Amino acid sequence: MTTIKLRSQKLANDTEIKLLITHPMENGRNRDPINGELIPAHFIQELTVQHNGQDVLSIDMGGSMSKNPFFSFRLKNLQSGDLIKASWIDNWQQTDSAEYRIE
Amino acid sequence: MSLPRRIFFTQILKILIGFSAVLASRAGRANWTLEHFSPSLFEDSFKTFYGNQAVIDSTDLQLKLPASAENGAVVPITISSDLEQISQVAIWVEKNPTPLAATVQFSSNANIYLTARIKMAESCHVIVIAKQGERLLKTQQWVNVMQGGCGTG
Repeated sequence: MTTIKLRSQKLANDTEIKLLITHPMENGRNRDPINGELIPAHFIQELTVQHNGQDVLSIDMGGSMSKNPFFSFRLKNLQSGDLIKASWIDNWQQTDSAEYRIE
Repeated sequence: MSLPRRIFFTQILKILIGFSAVLASRAGRANWTLEHFSPSLFEDSFKTFYGNQAVIDSTDLQLKLPASAENGAVVPITISSDLEQISQVAIWVEKNPTPLAATVQFSSNANIYLTARIKMAESCHVIVIAKQGERLLKTQQWVNVMQGGCGTG
């Protein structure tokens, strides 16, 4: 199951893209409430958004971003049928990506 | 050298070559820098990132944050600007153990507009720096954090 949810909304001049990722975003300083052990750092490092294969936005991040990161941003010149692709990689080298067609 | 041993070493060598190839391909793609996202004092981390470049206060960067946040684990932030030629925006949380929360690279096909959710360990300034060509523009806002959630920073 994909960890990425993408939605879009047409605005007057641009298109707003909303992006939600399911990820723990652990910074490595929290303790497990049951056994008191440190929970290893586990966070997304890079998120890349492409429009028809071209990078339009990329975000580098660390453990200071909230659990289940949510972003919204506004892209210019989007047409119906255009392909938006989002992909991430975390500090465990796990990755995921999702594609979305603009309606 | 006995044969099994030679095979063993050959295998090790193959694994090493494969591993270095993976490392090389990662290096080619990644800009993410451990140093920037490591725990550090804000002043030190900021200096490592920007060096001694001058930072100009700007009223053309709009920053929207709650005046006070009930839960420091999820603080919504909105950044926007009508300025041209902004290539990167960085979000800094002054008192977080890891002060740099994120850097955002915008292409010319993206408006300078972003909403996100950040963690805040305690009440402090949230500082946003935008790179416009060679210039660094700054805006900041104080946020009172009621409960610095244990999931913070």
